[in-house]
Amino acid sequence: MPTDPPAFLSFENVRFDYSGAAIVDGVDWAVGRGAIHCLLGRSGCGKTTLLKLAAGLFTPATGRVRLDGAAVCGPGDAVGFVFQAPTLLEWLTVLDNVLLPVTLHRRATADDRARALDLLELVGLAGLADRGPRALSGGQQSRVALARALIADPALLLLDEPFAALDALTREELQEDLLRLCAQRGTTALFVTHDIAEAVYLGDRVAVMADGQLRHSLSIDLPRPRPRDLRYDPRFNALCRELRHAMDGATGLRRAEAAE
Amino acid sequence: MTTRIAAILLPLLLLAGWEGYCRWSGIPALVLPPPSAVGAALWSGLASGRLLPHLAVTAAEMALGLGIGCLVGFVAGVALAEVAGLRRLLYPYVIASQVVPKLALAPLFILWFGFGMTSTVAITALICFFPLLENTLTGLDRVDPAKRELFRMLRAGRWRTLTRLKIPSGLPVILAGLRVAVVLALVGAVVGEFIGGRQGLGASIIAAQGMMDTPLMFALFAVITALGMLVYQATLLIERWLLSRQAKG
Repeated sequence: MPTDPPAFLSFENVRFDYSGAAIVDGVDWAVGRGAIHCLLGRSGCGKTTLLKLAAGLFTPATGRVRLDGAAVCGPGDAVGFVFQAPTLLEWLTVLDNVLLPVTLHRRATADDRARALDLLELVGLAGLADRGPRALSGGQQSRVALARALIADPALLLLDEPFAALDALTREELQEDLLRLCAQRGTTALFVTHDIAEAVYLGDRVAVMADGQLRHSLSIDLPRPRPRDLRYDPRFNALCRELRHAMDGATGLRRAEAAE
Repeated sequence: MTTRIAAILLPLLLLAGWEGYCRWSGIPALVLPPPSAVGAALWSGLASGRLLPHLAVTAAEMALGLGIGCLVGFVAGVALAEVAGLRRLLYPYVIASQVVPKLALAPLFILWFGFGMTSTVAITALICFFPLLENTLTGLDRVDPAKRELFRMLRAGRWRTLTRLKIPSGLPVILAGLRVAVVLALVGAVVGEFIGGRQGLGASIIAAQGMMDTPLMFALFAVITALGMLVYQATLLIERWLLSRQAKG
């Protein structure tokens, strides 16, 4: 566990139960400032719950989540969350959806609007600000959701399989945009996914999760910025293979435990 | 094109059939007046201005009853949707108040509010109250859980969550309740006048019945139907306008 520089986001022996069963079971993890970490696991392994614990949407039964040294005890300003579905409000325009985190608390200024338009341009939606969300494709809606999560300029971005429902090409484009945006703003990110290639492409570090526990972790020593062709690099494929084995091992362990 | 021709022909054919039946069967006009007599009664009522005050009274009762009933229904719906304890406590009473046939309460209302407009408005409001309450409750309850979580993540308070999420997302359901209330409001106003009205289209029907003026009764039906269709179409327009404004943002 890299503990030398003080971690920006850290889980300390975090446990979360739901109706008697441990969903997250003693997780220790630390994400350094500006790093992108990926949580990889099958459906139902507790990775979304872990993310919501980091967001302060859930409170751990035991243990502690710390953000920049302070214990997390509820949703905060410094955190942007991108949900599994874009979750846009159909009755607002694209621009007003991006501005929602601002307008829920105060009147949007001309400056806010300019920032929202800049963000929309950065995610490739310039010119669509006045449309309704229903007029957008799935990929475009995900981009709006990303812009909305970034409008308050959060230091930490939490992403819950945001691109899982998109086609492969759109998904790759969005991955590239996400890396670019995080690098520009120095945003720390924790990205939950079940897609091994996505985890390797995005992450500085990938943790494999199964049964509420982190079973394996792997540093991704690939260059940054990461070019599109990196996905066809032998080193990339080797890392994917290693993670795949780790996932199989994690499941194997579960089977062995069940057999006992 | 053919449907448009049929749409014009159908009422003409029906009227002609009705007229023909009355002429050739020798049925007394007291039982079934021919459309020509109904038209004449309608025309004389409108041209002489005798019908207009009654129309105004019924329209006013309907508008007042609808407005009060819908406002109270909406506010009560919001309160019951937001406060679970209140809902558990009061909902049985709300149901009971709706199971009681409201027109059966009319004699009581006349005792309380006297003959005339007030008791009819009260009955109309009571009838309009429930569809708005029910649909507001349903609309506010049926918010996408993911959106609720988004609002939680954005630290939106209760009031903001209500006004920025629950009411806008429930608006189509709430407006459907309004449409039901509009139709019921006319029934409430007219039937309320049957029982306790001195003026208005419903009271006029009772008066025409007393005078055995069947053509006038039919003319009044026509006026009531026209009033109902006008208000219903207006509601549809308002609904469409609200929802399209919402769709645009």
